[in-house]
Amino acid sequence: MITIALSKGRLAQKALDLLEAAGYDVSAGREESRKLILEDEKSGLRFIMAKPSDVPTYVEYGAADIGVVGKDTLLEEGRNLYEVIDLGFGACRMCVCGPVSLKDKLDQIPNKRVASKYPNITRAYFEGTKKESVEIIKLNGSVELAPLIGLSEVIVDIVESGRTLKENGLDVLEVVADISARVVVNRVSMKMKESEIVPMLDALRKQVAILNAKKEEEK
Amino acid sequence: MGNYRFHTPDGVIDILPQECSVKRKLETDLRELFSEHGYSEVETPGIEYYDVYASGDFVATEDMYKMTDKDGRIIAMRYDGTIPVARLAATLLKDEKPPLRLSYIENMFRFKESGGGKLREFSQGGVELLGLDNAEADAEVIALGITAALKTGLTDLQISIGQVEFFRGLVEEWGLSAEDAAELSTAIDQKDIVRIEKTAGRLGLSDDAKELLDMISNRFGTYDVLDAFDQKVKNETSKAALSNLRAILDALSDYELLQYVSIDLGMLRSLDYYTGMIFKGFTYEVGFPILGGGRYNKVVSTFGRELSAVGFCLGINLCLTALRRQDKLPEFVKVDAIVGYAEGEGMRKAAFATANALRETGLKVIVDTQGLSEEALDAYAEEHGIDQVVFVDEEEDTEEEDT
Repeated sequence: MITIALSKGRLAQKALDLLEAAGYDVSAGREESRKLILEDEKSGLRFIMAKPSDVPTYVEYGAADIGVVGKDTLLEEGRNLYEVIDLGFGACRMCVCGPVSLKDKLDQIPNKRVASKYPNITRAYFEGTKKESVEIIKLNGSVELAPLIGLSEVIVDIVESGRTLKENGLDVLEVVADISARVVVNRVSMKMKESEIVPMLDALRKQVAILNAKKEEEK
Repeated sequence: MGNYRFHTPDGVIDILPQECSVKRKLETDLRELFSEHGYSEVETPGIEYYDVYASGDFVATEDMYKMTDKDGRIIAMRYDGTIPVARLAATLLKDEKPPLRLSYIENMFRFKESGGGKLREFSQGGVELLGLDNAEADAEVIALGITAALKTGLTDLQISIGQVEFFRGLVEEWGLSAEDAAELSTAIDQKDIVRIEKTAGRLGLSDDAKELLDMISNRFGTYDVLDAFDQKVKNETSKAALSNLRAILDALSDYELLQYVSIDLGMLRSLDYYTGMIFKGFTYEVGFPILGGGRYNKVVSTFGRELSAVGFCLGINLCLTALRRQDKLPEFVKVDAIVGYAEGEGMRKAAFATANALRETGLKVIVDTQGLSEEALDAYAEEHGIDQVVFVDEEEDTEEEDT
């Protein structure tokens, strides 16, 4: 039995589509119910529907063998996992954003206050990459508000289309990381259930390659 | 204000009789095993000066439990077994002729890890083989590690063996900076193919090199893997690492333990610490390795003595968790027999003697302290699940019956 932790919502559906295309029976995972554990004895798959930020935790502790989760969550949670496939979907960027007037002037502000839902990513970027100490303000949503109302100078957040930013007079100042959905595997499961997990990963990789080829064609 | 008097702090637990008895038995078995193999046990203090761990950059500051002594010096609680033993080997044991074979079974304290069976205070049993820098010594330690894990009663065991020198050779061959090497090794260790490809691309590595990186992430096995890599690499350091692994496999084959082992050259954790072979052991139902070790030739020199070192440690609490979840904990019997006695001179003395005689045979025996009659004693035994009842009275010396 392989236990797969999925991030509740759109990402879960896409992950199930991919597994199905790879030849797995995922009907258990599609069951419309409030059940949190969806198990199918026959296909040997068990799905757990978890909050995205909890998926890396389930997988690190071995409660789930495999997880599908956004790179943003992986960066923020910093768990000790195998991160084996970039699924390509859910693509977006983690960025430092602020008022358009700050473009190319970010480094000139001393003692910055940075608001973010992702305090760990923010700390790693400013302290690790930029070698700069900043004051991090943890928020839980509508982070764009912070620079508008003077709570912080800039924010670190996920940018998809950039529309929310534009409508509020903000812009991307620096890109922290490219984000997309990833497949993660518990380090012990990879060894103990190798005969089941490795073929599954190979099949998934093949499907991802097909999807990517399609995307190229459409372009 | 919280009232914590009913609670234990985060990450530490009470161990109840059943598990405690298994744990003690396990520790006794390990102690015996280490001793049978010529490893002498040492006991290092539960607290060390912080510098012991900090000076070699062995442990991140935030992972240690720290306090200060009355002179303001920083004290750290025992974080692991290897570093104190290395300190010992370089100081009090500095005149002992190598090789040194030392072992320990101690509780460790780590601040960060918690949950999923990983505790902040946990027991580890381990060995250090100091002053022998060859594959024979590497194999001895791996073999003892496997034997120790099997001794706990676990049967499903997988051992992955790597060699950090293999990667170091590639780093030299490709002329990578320390920073790029760290970036690449982290990506490999996480099997993060995206990041490996990106880094390889940025560094302008050749197609041959990229193929090698792909093999490192995906090829596991034994001799076949070594052959495949041997054909691919040219530099001396990597080749030497492969022949070290080959010699280790040869020895493990003679130990008759080869069936547990697979080579994984993508294990690249703690590259600053390890200098050769590294290995990890896994079983079902726990998400973390239960066993880990390797060669770390530079640790003892931090304390001023040039002495190579190889060792392992076994996570005793993790083994217990695995045994429990795999339904392999032995049945627990609190008391096997109860001895009661009738009123009258000499009866109690006879009861004590009877109890001692039974204990000699290995039974767990209590003597009734409530003056119970024969019937009441039977009822008591029934209620408490005690199999054997002995009542000493005047007519006969002893009278045995099973309930």
